[in-house]
Amino acid sequence: MPHELEHLEAAGQRDAGQEAEFTATLGRLAGEVLETMFFAEAVAAECEHGWLPDAVAVRVDFEGSHCGEMWLALTPAAIPSIASAFLGLEPEETGEEQSAQVILELANILCGAVLSSLWPESRLLLDPPKSTAWECPDEGVWHCCLALDEGALAISIRLSGVKELA
Amino acid sequence: MAYSVLIVDDSPVMRSFIRRVMRLSGFELGECWEASNGEEALSELKEHAVDVILTDINMPKMNGEEFLRRLEEMGTLRSVPTLVISTDATKNRILRMLSLGADGYMTKPFSPESLREELERVLGARNASRA
Repeated sequence: MPHELEHLEAAGQRDAGQEAEFTATLGRLAGEVLETMFFAEAVAAECEHGWLPDAVAVRVDFEGSHCGEMWLALTPAAIPSIASAFLGLEPEETGEEQSAQVILELANILCGAVLSSLWPESRLLLDPPKSTAWECPDEGVWHCCLALDEGALAISIRLSGVKELA
Repeated sequence: MAYSVLIVDDSPVMRSFIRRVMRLSGFELGECWEASNGEEALSELKEHAVDVILTDINMPKMNGEEFLRRLEEMGTLRSVPTLVISTDATKNRILRMLSLGADGYMTKPFSPESLREELERVLGARNASRA
């Protein structure tokens, strides 16, 4: 069944109120995900992005009624405690491969939770998360930074289009 | 009574997490089998009898939707309750999976307590319908 495709200049259509609401939702949901499943406390923090070039970053592309990508970055120091808490192990028992898988899972859960909350009537399909360098643009994204007990976390979502599915 | 469970998820760390939080929550977990997609899960079900199935949706080879369709064809959904666990909390997806025969739908993030409550609900509902 063919569908009507309507590309929107997402960044240009957002007003300031929506911008603030989406950013607040992003931070709130990230905090809930980290607390509920990764047993980590996260609080909203001022953006200071000097650490991003050295971050462990993950990209999740999504398509369906809404298309775009979510970027997640963590300071390397934050990873052992998050991975070991999720796995129920001590940090020294947690291998690099396992830690990498946990961070991919964190990105997957964050992306699903945030998109479902922002657009509950949408139809979404998430690609598998991919480890990558942080290459998310600064402009035209919803973004927040969070401080963790050990390190920091940044999330950005870029919406590239909206499709009206039949 | 301890319940035997089949966990179907392509992420080994998520399977491990679900198994661990079931125990942490106080759910009476007996034998626990794992599969990384629907195809593997169907093979496991030929080998092992289970009391409840927990399945993800987005998986390679055979996704959760196709897995539920196959379970329905086999008549398994009439005897084994199935709980979907997914990051996708959109209404369309939830209604689709329930219409395919899932007994429950949990979205991530979830707490150990909420997982236990949902497991007990789907198991209790199924036992009540048999009585």
